Amino acid sequence: MNGPGTITDALIAAASTDRGIRAIEHDGRSLLLSYNTLLSESLRVAGALHARGLVPGDRVALVVPEVSEFIRAFFGITAAGLVPVPLCPPAQAGDLPTFARQSRHILVASRASAVVTSEDVAPLLDVSGIDGLAVLTIESLRGGPAIAVPTRVPLNAPALLQFTSGSTAAPKGVVLTHANLHANARAIAGPRGLDARPTDIGVSWLPLYHDMGLIGMLLSAVYTCVDTIVMSPVLFLKRPTAWLEAISTYRGTVSFAPNFAYELCLRRVKPSQIDALDLSSWRLAGCGAEPIRPDTLRAFAERFARAGFRASSFVASYGLAEHSLAVAFGRDGIHEDAVDAQQLVHHSIAVPSANGSTRVVRLVGCGHALPGHELKIVDDEGRTLPERHLGSILARGPSVMQGYFEDPVATAVALRDGWLHTGDLGYLADGQLFVCGRTKDLIIRQGRKYHPPDLESAIADLPGVRSSGVVVFGISRIDEPDEVVAVLEARASIASDGVVEQARRRVRETAGLELDRVVVTPPGTIPRTTSGKVRRAETRDRYLAGTLER
Amino acid sequence: MHDAGGNASAVHATVWGLVQASQTAGLPDRFEQDTFEILKRISRRPIEPKLDSELLADLGFDSLQVLELVGELEDHFKIAVPLNDMTHIRTVAQVVAEVRSLVTAEERPA
Repeated sequence: MNGPGTITDALIAAASTDRGIRAIEHDGRSLLLSYNTLLSESLRVAGALHARGLVPGDRVALVVPEVSEFIRAFFGITAAGLVPVPLCPPAQAGDLPTFARQSRHILVASRASAVVTSEDVAPLLDVSGIDGLAVLTIESLRGGPAIAVPTRVPLNAPALLQFTSGSTAAPKGVVLTHANLHANARAIAGPRGLDARPTDIGVSWLPLYHDMGLIGMLLSAVYTCVDTIVMSPVLFLKRPTAWLEAISTYRGTVSFAPNFAYELCLRRVKPSQIDALDLSSWRLAGCGAEPIRPDTLRAFAERFARAGFRASSFVASYGLAEHSLAVAFGRDGIHEDAVDAQQLVHHSIAVPSANGSTRVVRLVGCGHALPGHELKIVDDEGRTLPERHLGSILARGPSVMQGYFEDPVATAVALRDGWLHTGDLGYLADGQLFVCGRTKDLIIRQGRKYHPPDLESAIADLPGVRSSGVVVFGISRIDEPDEVVAVLEARASIASDGVVEQARRRVRETAGLELDRVVVTPPGTIPRTTSGKVRRAETRDRYLAGTLER
Repeated sequence: MHDAGGNASAVHATVWGLVQASQTAGLPDRFEQDTFEILKRISRRPIEPKLDSELLADLGFDSLQVLELVGELEDHFKIAVPLNDMTHIRTVAQVVAEVRSLVTAEERPA
């Protein structure tokens, strides 16, 4: 990797190689875009944006479903010195009203000067009454006229405004500079990251409007000048085999995905399809962005071993948009820590479980802090905790965001004394990070702390309940212990009989906690992020407002 | 007997009329039948889909299963569903209509 530079500097360096990006669209169409070609196409898009009166520093929203068009638009916006604000396209937003609402929220909150979209998507946007917003289609921008050289911007200028799809109610805009992105890309490529090699070939189906796909796969490939395959997430979700086929066909070496993608492959890739795969080139199979389940990864490694997959390729990773992306990587396979559940829940200490110990929680190690970056675990008073003590995860270093866009209150909560408060809970063991859940959602009852994800996983597989539609939250009450509520989203109109009693029993047995209320709601009633995660805070708000089952 | 030919064509016309009526008056055609089979296969619990069933609310599908459905339909009927069409589909009837129009467009000589 070259010295510090902007995104466009990285593209210029990549353009001097013979490498590039292969875009595979939702219908399987595939297009090779060399970095050299991409640079010249970007200069045309940049010129067209300037011609429409946009000036460096303006924010330009980006909602383009086609992979190749998104990439052209993204680098064009960047070459023009503008700040891209990626948005989720309609096919992945769920339904059209959700798409229109979510995109409108971000268009307003980002105070974007323009939105670059496609001819198909433009009519689906709700931009009525948004002052000064130009709706531009990528088709109309591709013709230029080209600018001769990219617009120069300083390293500390905003490079990306990334709206988080976190579990909190309203998405917040994470401001990242070119220096942030370069620092993170450099750490990702470095020896404690992926140890990138010029011969690496990235393969990704991850959405480009999301940090893991955009920064982790696309920008990292450009910064390290390697070939990369970028596939439409819609193609992967229609046919999960397409992901593995791309790795097999193009001899992919690095590919990341959340836990659910590995589960989807286990469920939907047929034995005859496995026989046709050769996954022996896949040296880093990353897993992150949601809780990592060792059982899923073990099963995947077993099933795909005959296609040449190696369990030692697994890389458990931890990151968040507020840290550009990556915080830590656990290399060389899955490192499990089996700890005593009672000790963890009641005393916040991760004690390795003795043989035959009653109940065990298995957590996956996500490696050590990246070079030039720091990690620490603190208690509620901000005191640094020793190893194996559960507390809040704090991170510091050049990848940490500048703040939330025009939101000083949220910024002051997240950034204190130079440390990013991640909102996640974890502990360190031999310097290795183990992540346990989010502090924001912590349920406290009788001085004991319960993490909703632990409670949710205890009741995720009840009959008739959608496993991705289980939410547990606490409601603080004065002079009374927190009320603990579980919301179960039924698979169809009716869930199985006795499901409420089963949920209570499970939570009682695994955590020693009594649920105060169990609510069974119809399908589609639990609010979710664009990446399909439940919105816990919003579910709680709707429950309190009595609008959950509406 | 001299009008046998006439009768035969009348019978033919009647049968043809029935075939057409079955398509418009609710008897399942192959698009409908095959779509129902695929819906049942993808569902993780027993379902009895009807034309007016909504995929999410009535059949308990999630957004991943909807995309899985699109993939299965594309493979089965050898069609490509445009991205924008996916965002409009809510009911089984809309799925069947989409499949029928795409297959018909495919079969029509260029």
